[in-house]
Amino acid sequence: MQTLEKIKKILIENFIIEEDALKPEASLESLGMDSLDKIDLLFEIEEKFKIKIEPNDIKGNTLREMVDSIDIVISRQHKEENICIENREE
Amino acid sequence: MRRVVITGMGVISPIGNNQIDFFNNLMAGNSGIRKISSNFLNQLSVKIAAEVDFESSAFFQKKQLGFLDRTSQFALAAASQAWKDSGISLSDSEKLRSGVAIGTSMGGASTIEETYTQLYQKNIGRVKPFTVLRAMSNASASHISIEYGLKGPCLSFSVACSSSSVAIGEAYRMIKDGYTDVMVAGGAEALLTYGVMKAWESLGILAVEDKDNPSASCKPFSKDRSGFVLGEGAAIFVMEELNRAIKRNARIYGEMAGYSSTADTYHITKPSLEGQAHTIFSSLESASMIPDDIDYINAHGTATELNDIVETKAIKKVFGDKAYSIPVSSTKSMHGHMMGATGAVELLASVLAIKNQAIPPTANLLLKDPECDLDYVPIKGRTGVKVRAVMSNSFAFGGTNAILIVRNYE
Repeated sequence: MQTLEKIKKILIENFIIEEDALKPEASLESLGMDSLDKIDLLFEIEEKFKIKIEPNDIKGNTLREMVDSIDIVISRQHKEENICIENREE
Repeated sequence: MRRVVITGMGVISPIGNNQIDFFNNLMAGNSGIRKISSNFLNQLSVKIAAEVDFESSAFFQKKQLGFLDRTSQFALAAASQAWKDSGISLSDSEKLRSGVAIGTSMGGASTIEETYTQLYQKNIGRVKPFTVLRAMSNASASHISIEYGLKGPCLSFSVACSSSSVAIGEAYRMIKDGYTDVMVAGGAEALLTYGVMKAWESLGILAVEDKDNPSASCKPFSKDRSGFVLGEGAAIFVMEELNRAIKRNARIYGEMAGYSSTADTYHITKPSLEGQAHTIFSSLESASMIPDDIDYINAHGTATELNDIVETKAIKKVFGDKAYSIPVSSTKSMHGHMMGATGAVELLASVLAIKNQAIPPTANLLLKDPECDLDYVPIKGRTGVKVRAVMSNSFAFGGTNAILIVRNYE
């Protein structure tokens, strides 16, 4: 849920998209975003969530699918971080 | 013969972000030079520059800014003024014969520097996604062509200090020679970054800060001159074929009368008297003018030891005795050396001299230099004078010279 809200905030503030249009089933294209906008958005998401998104990480094209994909990246990378920290502690 | 006129003008400069403020400040001798506001101030030996007061959010949305280096922001803001000022509108077929020519010396300098800082200093192994699009030297020209749908040539000229004079001159020729009917031409530059300022500092040709008054640090043609002050900004013109302008009842600021671009083939930094004289002579020739026809020269006037003497000699060589009665001023004393934008900004000062029948001064010229003995319009601008035709000089590192002549259109 937190992920969706954060992404919505980026879309509203950086891409000037109306909040009402940000339905979970809306595709990025339907929100008027082109391929460069998507690159820009993914960069912002990487910055905000402190994650690294690989080319194949994002599955699907709707807002909901994007949020799900990013949640997977977050949990995977945060787990890796924890492992790193644990290793360091040892 | 096809004639070319200027019908729109816009400016973003250290002394005003519209042509009225810009010219009023020039006439009043107000300088835009001051201690720079950047956080690297203390690491610089030369701590002054001519910065533009520019709030980007007033001109662009956050989404647009991701694509726009400060240079392109200046270019688009000045182009928007010029476009509105000209009152022009183009049909789809007219757009096919309209183009863009923009001069810039370093293009997206601040984007490049941010990227290197990120990689080398902060060791962050990733950079902003649009770094290439912001940094490329043709970004300003391309954004303008996209904004106004100009489908003819879209060109960028990088010739150091002559960049925008060359851009305007080549745009003039394109219309005159029948390749296009309308051109948006000028220059933009934004290079007041830590690395670029350090680079200029180490060349040893920047002005020493005036202890009593930093804004008076640039002193062209004055015995106590010590070099130039880096500046930033943009000036953009809408130029069109005369009959087209008449047909749509456009306001005409002046007619492009002559242009010459030549190379010194002498030295990478030192100016050549022969080379400059050749450019002045050939620009007059291209305008079919004689020395008596020129009522004002906006000098390159960098306030370096060498430039001011060589430029003075070159003017005397071509104009002969007439040289002593033509007002010659260096407005760089107020707006600084805006590099790739400077030729365009100085042409704007020259065209506004025609419009207002007034001549802007050389600020801070208090000590006579025996080797600089022309009428440099010291300190005080002159109003109520006859200005029929003006010459704007640009002489670049690398030895590329460019001179533009504009005459009053009657």
